[in-house]
Amino acid sequence: MHVSPRVQKWLGLSLTCGVLGVTGCSAARPPEAPVAQAELAVRQAAESKAPTYAPTEFRIAEEKYQGAQRAMSAEEYDLARRLAEQAVVDAQLAQARAEAAAAQKNSEEFRSTIKALQSEANRPTTP
Amino acid sequence: MINKQIVYFFTGVSLAALVAGCAGARPASIDRARSSLTQAQQDPAVVRYAPAQLSEAQATMTQAENVWNSEGDREEASHLAYVAEQKARIAVAAAQEKAAEDETQRLRTQREDIRVGARTREAELAHAQAEAATDRAVAATTRAQVLEQELAALKAQDTERGLVMTLQEGVLFEYDKADLKPGAMRSLEPLMTFLREHPDRTLVIEGHTDSTGTDSYNLELSQRRAEAVRNFLSSHGISADRILARGYGESYPVTTNTTEAGRQQNRRVEVIIAHEGQRVAERR
Repeated sequence: MHVSPRVQKWLGLSLTCGVLGVTGCSAARPPEAPVAQAELAVRQAAESKAPTYAPTEFRIAEEKYQGAQRAMSAEEYDLARRLAEQAVVDAQLAQARAEAAAAQKNSEEFRSTIKALQSEANRPTTP
Repeated sequence: MINKQIVYFFTGVSLAALVAGCAGARPASIDRARSSLTQAQQDPAVVRYAPAQLSEAQATMTQAENVWNSEGDREEASHLAYVAEQKARIAVAAAQEKAAEDETQRLRTQREDIRVGARTREAELAHAQAEAATDRAVAATTRAQVLEQELAALKAQDTERGLVMTLQEGVLFEYDKADLKPGAMRSLEPLMTFLREHPDRTLVIEGHTDSTGTDSYNLELSQRRAEAVRNFLSSHGISADRILARGYGESYPVTTNTTEAGRQQNRRVEVIIAHEGQRVAERR
């Protein structure tokens, strides 16, 4: 097949860059601390209201943590660290959103209680 | 044609490799994260309720931008931008939670106020009802006391037919006469006072005689005496409409007619004042 010199030049440049990028960014040591933090964060979220009130966010955190574990096994340590770090904030967000939703639901219940009390109070008192 | 497609394909692959491995245009994830963070920073609720989370997000954002600007590490910069954006979202959620908690607290106070208000109103109502009941009881007691005094003044008896006041012949009439004596006024004064104070009450005036003389004579005499009393009352402001005058002659003695003392007792006028809201049952 025929490839133009211009494309060859592009290919060469990109290949060089790709190799540089991959080798330049890979870390040598396994990111044990971030993965442990991710495990803790996901476990805390699992024990919070997150699975009920923020199931999507919670599932994303779980998947990222599992991805981090797989990357650890594959010795893709950069990927493992990033997935672990993302799993931490994902889990925290799931928990924060769940707590916000629960708090809003609670205040909504108070609001309707008050509405009921007010309509009761406005009713004429004489039987 | 095929060649051209292949060319495009490889160009695409090389561009992707370029983007992945090398410095190029600033990653969109950084701009996205920056914009999310700015939005959170401009939200007064987030600034007020989640300042710590906000500054954490800001720190990570700065880190992402530094990694991009000084090292050109696209992947790490994108990763940090993602973390920064999530932190900004955490700050927003934390602020929402705190705001909702504040609102709940405010509503709790409001609910308590309403409950206290309702209890106060109930208490006030109960108090007012109790007072009204006391007032009624006092009024009833007062009325009963007044009535008792009035009855004492009338020297009347509270009977089933009504308040019965018995006036002996002697205090009103000369023997065998039907014109009131000048002194009769004094004996009738308490009755008139009572009737003026109870303008709704009707009364029956009954004339009675002893058994001396004929029935028809006694009937007529007692009728004239009853009417004399009625006329006297009506001439003193007691409406004649309220008064029924009846002569019964000797038909209803209160005691024996065989002694002078008994006959004296039987010669009498009885005034029966109806109970409130009733009428006096006539003798048959």
